[in-house]
Amino acid sequence: MVKKWIAAAVSIGLVFSLAACSSQAGPTGNGGAADQTNEVANTDSSQSTAAKTKIKYWTPDRHDAEFMKAKIDAFNKTNTDNIEVEMTVMGDNYPQAVDIAFASKQAPDVLQINDFSTYIQKGYLTPITSYMSEEMKTTFKDSLIQNKNTIGDDIYSLPNTGQTWRLIYNKDLFQQAGIASPPKTLAELVEDAKKLTEAGKSSGAYGFASPFKSGGGFWRAANTIAGASIKTGTEGYNYQTGQFDFGMYKDIAEALRQMDKDGSMLPGVESLDIDPLRAQFAQGKIGMYINHSGEPGVYKDQFPTKVNWAAATVPTLDGTIKGALQVVGGSYIGISADSEHKEAAWKFMEYVYSVDFQKEYYENGYGVSLIPAVLSGGTKPNIPGIEGFLPNKYDAIYPANPSAVTESSLEGMKWSDTFAKYVLTGGNLDAIIQDLNKRYNDSLAKARAAGKTKIEADPGFDATALLGKLAGE
Amino acid sequence: MRKLHAYVFIFPSLFLTLIFSIYPLMWALRFMFYDYQGFGTPVFIGLDNFARVMRDAEFWSSVKNTGIYALGKLIVTIPLSLLLAIILNRSLKGRTFLRAVYYLPTIFSASVMSIVFFIIFNSYNGILNQFLIKYDIISQPISWLGADHAMLTTVIIAIWGAVGNYMLLFLAGLQGIPEDLYEAASLDGAGEYEKLRHVTIPLLGPVMQMIIMLAITISLKGYESIMVLTGGGPYGKTEVMYLYLFKLLFPISPESQTLQQIGYGSAVGFTTALMVGGITVIYFFVSRKLNNIY
Repeated sequence: MVKKWIAAAVSIGLVFSLAACSSQAGPTGNGGAADQTNEVANTDSSQSTAAKTKIKYWTPDRHDAEFMKAKIDAFNKTNTDNIEVEMTVMGDNYPQAVDIAFASKQAPDVLQINDFSTYIQKGYLTPITSYMSEEMKTTFKDSLIQNKNTIGDDIYSLPNTGQTWRLIYNKDLFQQAGIASPPKTLAELVEDAKKLTEAGKSSGAYGFASPFKSGGGFWRAANTIAGASIKTGTEGYNYQTGQFDFGMYKDIAEALRQMDKDGSMLPGVESLDIDPLRAQFAQGKIGMYINHSGEPGVYKDQFPTKVNWAAATVPTLDGTIKGALQVVGGSYIGISADSEHKEAAWKFMEYVYSVDFQKEYYENGYGVSLIPAVLSGGTKPNIPGIEGFLPNKYDAIYPANPSAVTESSLEGMKWSDTFAKYVLTGGNLDAIIQDLNKRYNDSLAKARAAGKTKIEADPGFDATALLGKLAGE
Repeated sequence: MRKLHAYVFIFPSLFLTLIFSIYPLMWALRFMFYDYQGFGTPVFIGLDNFARVMRDAEFWSSVKNTGIYALGKLIVTIPLSLLLAIILNRSLKGRTFLRAVYYLPTIFSASVMSIVFFIIFNSYNGILNQFLIKYDIISQPISWLGADHAMLTTVIIAIWGAVGNYMLLFLAGLQGIPEDLYEAASLDGAGEYEKLRHVTIPLLGPVMQMIIMLAITISLKGYESIMVLTGGGPYGKTEVMYLYLFKLLFPISPESQTLQQIGYGSAVGFTTALMVGGITVIYFFVSRKLNNIY
């Protein structure tokens, strides 16, 4: 009997020790370590009077990690408020990590915003309006955009860098095909792609490519061209009517379809991702494609190339820019609504957003700045090929649109996939557009009724009113 | 007393199963009836999510694709792995080595192998096309991962990855068949084919029933390699049920922001689980004869 009791006691002990082990080695492992250091810091503070205010900063960016680390080290050494910033570079699962951190009350004090509207709806951010000095408000006056960094009169975030979109072309192939300059109109785009293919086919080079493995292949080309060609909207959304109108992509879809029919596209575009596309471009197999200002960095580090390439403004319907070249970006970092050290967090944010800091960031080529005070300073990023991507008067940040929330209850295929299918297989384009309009507007009506979006029609919207805010020239 | 022991030892695994399987399952079951994007207040919408599943052309196209994928994979994998198992069950020179070679693909992660296959099959600089062009078998590159051939390509890769696994299971089954049955059959004048038909296959019945059931459920649930190879594209041509489900719950859209759809995703998850479960039950019913050994 006694033996049995001992055995039972030992088993219970085993179970509990197992449970204890797992709780230590589990996902809270890091948290446990952090708590320990906090305890150490607290005991220290009881002896020496000045306790450091620790600020946690989370970012998914890896490309600038070295630079940021050095700058944060400098901040930690020089700031007079006894603030210590600890930066954590998160992996690809950043959105999930942030969600978990907020759910478990372990959110960082300062965090990078990857989806502004969602973060606001989830209540993650605190307004920074009251912390901003008048001078800072003036600096950023023209960069603030509703639903990208402000809600009503409250400012939550400020821009730093973004992506400008261009037509990227291989100058050597253009010369070989006898084309003097990059295409200005959609018709020229189709024509040039044909010429490039005729001249380059023997060496395996083709006129045009886009990553059609996903709808992104259409998205990249179409969104940029449509934004430049019309003044009413982007991503299929007409800001004036507050409705989706996919008719804005009709000519672009037809032009891309024509290029596919002509055989001007790189064979296999339908299984192409952006990185394999870049690898092919770097080998001189692609005449033109449309992508963003991340490309110079890619061709410097990831796919070093001997190709003589440049970036030009995307072609438009009739050769003139009637709308605005869409710039992706707007919000950067913000302060957690749960932070216990909001003042200190702001001190750090102020440091990152200082014009000097942002100038250095821009000059080092970590991204195209969206801050007019930085752009007008005459400094240029130190990275080959970036010249064509520098913001000009046609580049503009569009206000937020309700496309993400609409697609979350959309029935059937997304617009980018639907058009990609048309480009590669054809069909009745008018019927396709009609069907898309109906499905998207139905879903949008539902989202509005459920209060998921507050974005309403803006009859006075004109994309040209956004021009010139980033850069004058 | 003995009972207390049993409970104590069952407790840890029961505890973990409850926390990591049953609780999340209940959580998802609840949200099938809600409109919920992962934040804000979930809104109860009754059976609306299921009505949407019924109307969702993309989902039904993924069901169709899953059918093609699973069927294509099964009709080749099962006979092929049985054949390999029978051959490698003989006293063949180097059979241990060969068994290991065939089993090897099972060890690698589907995503890693799919990257290798992408390098082989992609149409612009894939090894396969370059080989075929070099020896004048084709003049134009074939778009292996394009709309016309993508499904075939993913099925071929799935077969490659699965054959070794089922071969091993069949081998285990074969080794359970007593040698004297074959000897008796030989004495009765049975040839190789008669032995296979009247001894091996009937005696393999129960094992085969299990293996086919496993193969069916695994094929219906497979999506990892498709995710790497084609991402369900081009334009949904290779989208299978579980990949569609995965994308609803973990949006992987590099361009536009896509929201998580926990409510609708749970409803799709439940529907797919019901379908896979239903097919398995039907299979069990239809195949119950396999269990009878005369």
